[in-house]
Parts: sequence; C-alpha cells; structure tokens
Amino acid sequence: MNSSSEPVVETQNLTKRYGDFVALDGLSIHVHRGEILGFIGPNGAGKTTTIKILVGLSRPTSGSAKIAGVDCSSDGKRIKRLVGYMPDKFGSYDNMRVREYLDFFGAVFGIPLSKRKRRVEEVLDITDATYMQDKFVESLSHGMQQRVGIARTLLHAPEVLILDEPANGLDPKARIEMREILLRLADQGKTLIVTSHILPELARICSTVAIVTGGKLRAFGKLDDVMKSICPRRSYEIQVSDAADFTTAERSIAELLLSDEPIEASQAERLFRFPTARSEADLSEVLRRLIMGGLPITQFREVASDLEDAFLTIAQTKVPS
Amino acid sequence: MSDGFGWKNPVLGRELLDRLRSPKTVLTILAIAVGTCLLVQLRWPSDSRLDVVSQSSMEVFRPLAYVLTLAVMFLVPAFPATSLVNERRKGTLALLLNSPLRPWQIYIGKWLSNVILAMIMISASMPALSACYAMGGITFRSHIGPLLVVLLAMAIQYSAVGLWVSVRSHSTDASLRMTYVVVLVLSVLSVGPLAIVGNLSGGAGWIANAFTALSPLSALQEITQSQSQVTDLGLSRGWLDFLVATFFVTILFGALTMMKLDPILMDRVKPIGKVTPKGTAYAVLRRIAFLIDPNQRKAGIPLWINPVMVKEFRTRKFGRLHWLLRIVACCIIVSLALTVVSATGTVNWGVQRIAAAMVLLQVGMLMLLGPSLGASLIAGEVESGGWQILRTTPIGPIRILTGKLWSVVWTMLILLLATLPGYIVMGYIVPVMVGQVNNVLISLLFVALFVVSTSACVSGFARSAAVATITSYTILIAFFAGTLMIWLARGKPFGPIFVERALMFNPAAAALAEIQAPGFESYQLTPWSWWLSGTISGFCLVVLTIRTWLLSRPD
Repeated sequence: MNSSSEPVVETQNLTKRYGDFVALDGLSIHVHRGEILGFIGPNGAGKTTTIKILVGLSRPTSGSAKIAGVDCSSDGKRIKRLVGYMPDKFGSYDNMRVREYLDFFGAVFGIPLSKRKRRVEEVLDITDATYMQDKFVESLSHGMQQRVGIARTLLHAPEVLILDEPANGLDPKARIEMREILLRLADQGKTLIVTSHILPELARICSTVAIVTGGKLRAFGKLDDVMKSICPRRSYEIQVSDAADFTTAERSIAELLLSDEPIEASQAERLFRFPTARSEADLSEVLRRLIMGGLPITQFREVASDLEDAFLTIAQTKVPS
Repeated sequence: MSDGFGWKNPVLGRELLDRLRSPKTVLTILAIAVGTCLLVQLRWPSDSRLDVVSQSSMEVFRPLAYVLTLAVMFLVPAFPATSLVNERRKGTLALLLNSPLRPWQIYIGKWLSNVILAMIMISASMPALSACYAMGGITFRSHIGPLLVVLLAMAIQYSAVGLWVSVRSHSTDASLRMTYVVVLVLSVLSVGPLAIVGNLSGGAGWIANAFTALSPLSALQEITQSQSQVTDLGLSRGWLDFLVATFFVTILFGALTMMKLDPILMDRVKPIGKVTPKGTAYAVLRRIAFLIDPNQRKAGIPLWINPVMVKEFRTRKFGRLHWLLRIVACCIIVSLALTVVSATGTVNWGVQRIAAAMVLLQVGMLMLLGPSLGASLIAGEVESGGWQILRTTPIGPIRILTGKLWSVVWTMLILLLATLPGYIVMGYIVPVMVGQVNNVLISLLFVALFVVSTSACVSGFARSAAVATITSYTILIAFFAGTLMIWLARGKPFGPIFVERALMFNPAAAALAEIQAPGFESYQLTPWSWWLSGTISGFCLVVLTIRTWLLSRPD
C-alpha cells in the first residue's frame, strides 16, 4: 500500500445534530492515498452519518469534510465524481442484467458510449464478476451483488471508495474474495473507507482504524498504534507437555511472575495464560529459568490481541461527556 | 367449526385483527357509511305524496346499489391482492408453510378474513339501505336481500381472485395491477361476448351467456329493475346465475391458490437471465414471436437519451416493449372489430355507442396502467434503495424526474395510438365524425396526463410503491367514478348545470360527451374540461418537481 503525505479524506471537528440529539461530535480524521480506513463503531455510533456527509447526502451542523481538497457540503457535484459509494442496501432493479445495470450507471456518470463498454469490462474484471454479466441483478447471491456494487462504484474511476458494510451477510469464501478485491484496489492507489461489524475482517485489510462510539472519535491511527494504545498489556501462553504435575508447574510459573500478572490455568489444555507489560528480554529470561527448572514446555507464545478486544475495551469505557 | 375454518384458525384471527386495527380500515368503513347516507339524503324525494314517494324509492335505491357495487369492486380486491405477496416478500409465508398449518388452512384464514372484512364494509351501508326500505316500494325479499347477497358474492369471488394473483406475484404493485385487471375482465369485459354477438343459440350462445353470468352487472340490473334500459345489450341474466358462477369461480381460484401454496412449488429458482445467441435459428424464431426479443443483449444507452427513461423501460416487466406491443396489438384488434361489427350491422348499436365502448376501453386501460406505472416512479425507487444511489451520482433531480415521467408518458401515448385504426375506420364510415374524434383523442390525452401526473405526485410522498399505488387508485377512482356518480344522479337531486360542472373535472366524461355517448349528448364539456384537468395536472407536476428536488437535497 502506497500512502502519500497529503490526506485525501479529511474531516475537521465534524459535528451533526438532529435537534437535541448529537449524532456526531467533533470528528477529526484524515486518510491518505492508498490507505484503507476501517471505520468501527456499534450501531448508532455515527458511522453512517459520517459517511453520508462525506458522500454529500447530509450536511454537517458544524465542522468540515473534504475529499481531495473539495468541500463535501458545498461542492456536491465534484464530490460525486471523486467518490464511489456503496451503501449497505444494494439498490437493485428488477429485470436488469448486470451489464445493463453497469451501463445505466455509466450513462448516469456521463461516460461516452464508446468508452463505457470497455470501462464496464474493466470493472467486471477487477471485481471478478465478468462471468455474471448476463445474469439478472436480483437473481444474484448477496456476495455476487456486493461485487457488482463495488464494480458500480468503480465505473467513474473515483479517487475514494466508501463502502458501508461490504462484508455483511457474506459467507467465509465470499469474505475472502471481497478482502482480496479491496486489497487490490488499495494497491491500485484507491483510498478506501470501510465500515464493518466483522472486526477480524477489518483487521486483516485496514492500515488505519477509527473507532467511534456515541458520536465521538475514541481511537484513530495506524492499526498497530491503536492496538498498543488501547491494549498495552499483551497476553502470553505457556503450554506444557505433561499435565501430571500441573500444580507444581503452576507454582513454578507463578513464582517468576509479578503480582499484577495473574495466571489463568487450564488443566484440560495443559495451558497457562498471563498478561504482562514486560519487555521481550525480560520474558526470554522467564522462559530460560522455566526450562532450567525442568518444566516440559512445548509452547511459549504471545496471544495477539485483536481489533475485537480493542473495540470491546473502548466500548466498555464510559464516553466522556 | 373445525380448527381450519373457525375462529381457532390462527391466520384468520391475526389477519382480521391486523386489518381491523388499521386506521385505513376504519376510515374506509366510515367513508362507506357516510357516502351512502349522503347519497340517499341527496336523492330523498321532496314530494310528500305517497305514490310519488314509492316510485322515487327505486331512483334512490338504484344509484346506491351501483355505488356499493363499485365500492366492493375497487376496495375488496386491494386487501387480498397484497396479502400473500407481502408475506412472501417478508419471508413470513415460508414460516407459515413450515408450521403445522396446512396450506388450505392458511388459505381459508386469509380468504375468510377478507370476506368478513368485506361484510363489515357492506354492513356500513345498512343505514342507507334501511332508509330506502322505509321510503316504501323497496322490499327486502326482492331488492335489499338480493343486493346484499350479490355484494357478498362479489366479495367472495374477488377475495379468491386477489389471493390467486397474490400467490403468483413477486411485487405488491404488480399484484394489485393484475388483480384489478382480472376483476375488470370478470365484472365488465365478461359481458362483451353477449353484448357483441347478441342472443345466439347453441354452443356459442351458451358460452356467451356463461361469460355474462360472471359479471355482477346483469344481476344488478335485475335487482334494480333497470333491464329495460339495456335490453338492447342483451344482458338478461339473473342474480342467481351470478351466484352459481361465483361458486365455481371461487372454487377454481381457491384450488389454484392452494395448489400454489406448496413449499416445494414456491421454492422456485429466480430467473437468472438467458441471452438469445445471435445469428441462430432460435434467435430468428424469437424475433418472429416477440418482434422485440426480451432476452436479447441490450445495447448501451447513448448519452443523448435520458438514461433514467431507458432504465425505467428496461426494469419494469409490463413496460417492456414486447409487452406493450402485445397490448397495442390487442387494442388495435378490439377497436377494429368493434368498428367493423358496427359498420356491417352485426349489432345495431350505432357508431356513437361503438365509439363510447372504445373510449371506455381506453379509459379503462389508462386507469389500470397509469396509476401503477406513475405511482412507482419515485416511491419504487426509494423503496428499492436506488434513490440513495442516484443521489450520489451527477444526474440532477429534474433529469431523473423527466426521464421517469417520459417513460410513463410514452407508454400511455402508445396505448392511446393503439385504437387509432378504429377511429380512422370510424371517420371513414361517418366522415362528419372526424372533428369529434379529434376532440375525443385530445380528451383522452388529458385523461392520460391527469392519471400520470396525479399518481406520480402521490408517488413523491409515499415510501413504498404499494402504498402509492393504492392511494393513487383511490384518488383517481374518487375523481372518475365520483363525477360519474353525480351524473348517475342527474335530474334528481342534481340539476343539469351542476352535473355538467361536475363532469368538467372528468376528462373521460369529456371524451364521452364529444363522442355523443348515450346519456352524455346534452353536455358541452370541452374546452373547459381540458383546462381544468390540465390545471390540476400542472399543479400535481409542480408539486412533484418540488418534492423530487427536496428529496434529492442533502439531509
């Protein structure tokens, strides 16, 4: 993924109020070219409101949102050409084949007929959807429709793609395919903003994440940085080969750990787990002493904390008023 | 009663409660009660002499009977037409079919709830019917009783028809449209064969009579003692024949619906879209069969054509060109046939009557197609989610609107032109009628404009195509049938000037008056009718434009 220093998408103190209800409260984010931003939050967090402002479907109460330097609320016409938007609802038409569907949107975007045919073929190729070009849109499976949806957003070669829940309702195979398509698009220099409830899915593709709850931005930055800031303590697992003297093993490990490193033991799995903020050098010393002490260790590994943990940690924290 | 038929049928209980809790049902019942009472009040004789009063009672009873028939014809089918298709779209039909309930229990529950609801609606007219009875000259045995039985039979028949169409449909508005088409065929067009060929003997006569028995019109004529006015049409079937026909029609449609309520039969693969290979014998065959093959790969949309208009034509099944061609072909054949039978003296109706039949045929077509096409313009787009996507494209609201409106206007124009051959032949037979025919065609253009603009305007305010379609039909029926009701009550209590002014709001009446249809000879409705319907249409289009612009604005 090639990101440049100039942000392509930028919001400054973006706020949206509906009467007394604050849907979005001073959101400031920026996304660079070729980045994939994972936009995470529970239902009603303000994700769709932000997206609607970015694509020109809603006006902010205050603050600003810009895409490639163009203001989203005052220059809607240019924004429509800069952004490709795929809502969570597909918006299919009856009795329309995939090719006709794409041709219609190509005509709506004013792509000349001579170039449109080739462009439709290109987007079908990018999304691996060429084989379904003669099928009726409404007869396609959800996964296929999502691909056609992405093909539609690509028709006018937008700089930014905003995809609302693209992996929603997809089976594991379709999810993998969707992930590959999104990564391919990012490699081609597209900037993507993706919302999803399937957090492990986002963790695999996103370079940047923004976590919102209650309309407020709770965490924003590179995925690793966000993870470290939210979950500074990592978890480690030690597995032993022989569970015969499990209690002795537990005692030996506990002796080497600090008081704020509570140990969790699972005799059935012959496993010990503990959280720690210690450096890797300290931990290698712990491992050396355990082996020297004759503990039959088969595994000593870090349990990667995932985006889901981070999200849950934030979601459980009270939103500052 | 057993569980399937009685109150223990859970489908019946739920359906009935759902409907009765709806404010729309309460409003409908109230409207029937108030409307019928108002009609009786307007027609109530002012002369106190007893013999005059008893003669006048039939003049009160007759329009009341026709109003109730129209109410049942238009209100009752709307409920069953949306019933099963809605359940199917929401996925609840699959749950019902997966329950221990048998298909016939589901059917009976839905059918019976519609019939009971219709009975409640019909019973709202009891105060008005009682007033007729109190006036004298009207008996329960010969008039009120048979009328109630015929109305109930209509409700039974149309509920079965609505459910049958509903179980076969994929969208609510398509189901509504098709249900009204079937009801129109059963109730009005079924008298066509007998009316055209007259009282024949033998097999042809029996078939023509059997068709006529399907319609409640002849039964109503018997009950309201108005056969003498239409004996020349040859409609002389009694109301008992209608009951027998209703029994068979209900059984037939019921059986067909129950057969369809099978989880295995309903688990159909969606049509995935076949493409006719070019340059094959098969492609040639399909070209002959369809003229425009719907399975042919479509060409790209040129930039000089409004893409929304093309999209509208391609996405609606009924608006697709091969369907339009079929309708146009039917209209040409019917209009030419009517003109030829008139010219050759097969029936002694006269050119005016034939022309009136053609006008009514066209108005019926426009009324059936126009609201369902117009009402889905904006509401259908909003419902499908397409509107939100269109808002994120560079195409402006005015271009979207004009594209959508043109798609309906072209369809309506094609339908109007379909009967042109009939009118040309008519002008050839009676050259003095050319001027009249021109005025009729202009009036029909205004009918089309009125229907499309009103339903499109309604569409801008509805969130679903089904709601927009039902609302449009209700408004347009109130306009077209309402003014004709005033015409029916001409002489008493409405004077000729009042009737003429009321008819001016109805461009279809202007067409009938121009063609000198029986009963419309004395009215001069043009050009005022054109101005009025043009103004109302213009107002609706302005409202629609503002509404579309507002809908396309950022929230």
